[in-house]
Amino acid sequence: MKISRRLYSYYLVWPALLIYSIFFVIPAIAGLYYSFTDWRLDRTSIQFIGWDNFERIFTDKTLLLAVKNTLIFAVATVIGKNIVGMALAIGLNMRLKTRNILRAIFYSPSILSILVISIVFTPMLRADGTINRILDAVGLHFLTQNWLTDPSVVIWTIALVSIWQQAGFQMAIYLAGLQSISKDYYEAATIDGAGAWRSFRSITLPLLTPAININLMLTLIGGLKVFSEVFVLTGGGPGNASQVVGTIILRSFGEGSWGLGTAVNTLLFAAVTVIAIPLLIFMRRKEVSE
Amino acid sequence: MYNKMKKLGAGVLAGFMTLTLAACGSNSGSSNAAAGSGDKVKIELAISKSSQDSAFVQQDLLDAFEKETGIKVNLQLLPAEQTATVLQTKLAVDETPDIVQYNLASATTDLNLERNFEILDNEPWVSRILNKDVLSAYGHVYSFQLSQDTGMQGVVYNKDIFKELGLSIPNSFEEFLAVCEKIKAAGITPVFMPYKDNWAANIWPAAAFADYADKNEPTLFDDINANKKKWSDVPEFQNILQQQYEIYQKGYTNADILSDSYDMAVGKFLGKEVAMMFMGDWLIQDVIAKDPNMHMGLFPIPYAANAKLGASPLGGQLFIPKKAKHMAEAKKFLDYLASKDVAQKIVDDQRFVSNFNDVQTPELPEYKQEIVDNYITPKKTVLTTDAYMLVDRSELYRLLQDEFAGGLDPKGVLAAWDDKFQQLMKDKGIDGF
Repeated sequence: MKISRRLYSYYLVWPALLIYSIFFVIPAIAGLYYSFTDWRLDRTSIQFIGWDNFERIFTDKTLLLAVKNTLIFAVATVIGKNIVGMALAIGLNMRLKTRNILRAIFYSPSILSILVISIVFTPMLRADGTINRILDAVGLHFLTQNWLTDPSVVIWTIALVSIWQQAGFQMAIYLAGLQSISKDYYEAATIDGAGAWRSFRSITLPLLTPAININLMLTLIGGLKVFSEVFVLTGGGPGNASQVVGTIILRSFGEGSWGLGTAVNTLLFAAVTVIAIPLLIFMRRKEVSE
Repeated sequence: MYNKMKKLGAGVLAGFMTLTLAACGSNSGSSNAAAGSGDKVKIELAISKSSQDSAFVQQDLLDAFEKETGIKVNLQLLPAEQTATVLQTKLAVDETPDIVQYNLASATTDLNLERNFEILDNEPWVSRILNKDVLSAYGHVYSFQLSQDTGMQGVVYNKDIFKELGLSIPNSFEEFLAVCEKIKAAGITPVFMPYKDNWAANIWPAAAFADYADKNEPTLFDDINANKKKWSDVPEFQNILQQQYEIYQKGYTNADILSDSYDMAVGKFLGKEVAMMFMGDWLIQDVIAKDPNMHMGLFPIPYAANAKLGASPLGGQLFIPKKAKHMAEAKKFLDYLASKDVAQKIVDDQRFVSNFNDVQTPELPEYKQEIVDNYITPKKTVLTTDAYMLVDRSELYRLLQDEFAGGLDPKGVLAAWDDKFQQLMKDKGIDGF
């Protein structure tokens, strides 16, 4: 059978499209529908209840606290991971004898399971843990905290742990970006008398924009979808102090409120889309080419 | 070309659906075929992985059952932290196991007992049960267990420390504080509070609330469940929560209660670092398993004079779902477990307090015999609030934890629980909410 050259690619895309539809598009549409229902295990039928689930989300204090915590976590980790990641990348892009080993060391936390991180950090972050003891020993007693049990600092602690773990991954992307910048620019700038800061501002930063965009998007989406860090370090506690949208979804399903859980998930999807896409478009416009 | 594309697309779709349907149907198909052809019937028993040492699923027992009846019991081990979710899903999509091992009180809140499980009132073993209450809900026997020995909850204590310091069991809150003071003066932490695990903060109120209601307002939980009364309407509940907080506030506990977890408890007792803990007798069992020379005991939560010992709803019962594919064989398995010889062997091995009139209770460990003599036999026990809760209790646990994190006072805990309770009861479709 002769296959049309113009259309054969469509035949090839069919299986992928079918699988993608079955496992993603149809469940996503079904999820959107269920978020408008009172879907529960203990109900014999599922009723359409309009915006009730969404109304409840915006009037539930714990859910609002979870949204606030999610935003704090997302903003803190976007800033922290990118500043630390970029600083590490610039430092380790220099001609150091130990740079390869240092790159491996700084990257290694990002390949560890969050469960391992939890096992390591939970005892360290206790009131009588290593971190407070070190702070005491170096005369910084005023900085000691109940890192994971004080409701006012717990979400920031989790963000710090996440920055520690993931900054090495951001570093790797920045390193790749830095290595794609031609040395000629820096040589020319040096000849023109530019200092290190001027070279960074006028050469490194603009040419690093694609890497910055990728990292911003990854950290922002990861931050808004945070779940595992909170789940393993505090389980959303103490009380509800460190609940985030991800843990609230789990809680809703655990309570049997599947419709409500799906509605929170739908909102999270919408929030990520609404924040991420305009940011992506804005950042793309800032990109320059060599 | 368009038609060809359509045909190909339809072909791929049809092929995929055939494969999917074949995959879905293969399990039940083979099982039915086995039943019909006279081969061995296989019944599925779903159980949490954390309960895989349960008395009812020992391999030699299952082998003996298979040898006698030709019915094979296949275990479905469910991940411990997802047992409820997995079972909810299985029941919702009719992928029902033939037998489920679960906790009766939790089955009423998590698994919709009335809708999903078979009433067992007419099973032959029911007439031999001594204590029907521990297997019943909504006036019917829904579950099977050989034991009536529910987990007893109160203050687990180290008898040796009490003896060395000349202390006796306190019979009021004031006496309890005095005991704490003496233990603290001896350089030992009086009470271990592992409230990183928020459920542990519920032991004190769960027994004390129930005892208060039992003595003062017997219809209280019915009224709360009918929305005639709220949790915050009972001033004594606030006092009970305040008492537990006071013990922490006065420095009678471990310092970092929100960082310490339940799994540290056995070590703390073995090291004689702590003297008491609000917990169930399962902790004693774990401690003496590590060191049989430890002398441990249990007394009621001393929120008021002459309090009764809390009895948690019995755990680890067997249930038969209404949609079990092999109902008759599942019931035969329960008959087998209930048969006098088999039941006696299980009760002897597990040192259960027998729940069958023709099965003898074996010699019990010292601590358990004391509980039987001092509390169970003279009927000085009260079912904890967990037995009366129709909804998921995890938010209450979080609120109790929040009290110790400084976020809520006892009044705030009860007010917040009222709101959540209303919402959960309404979601469940309970009348009056």
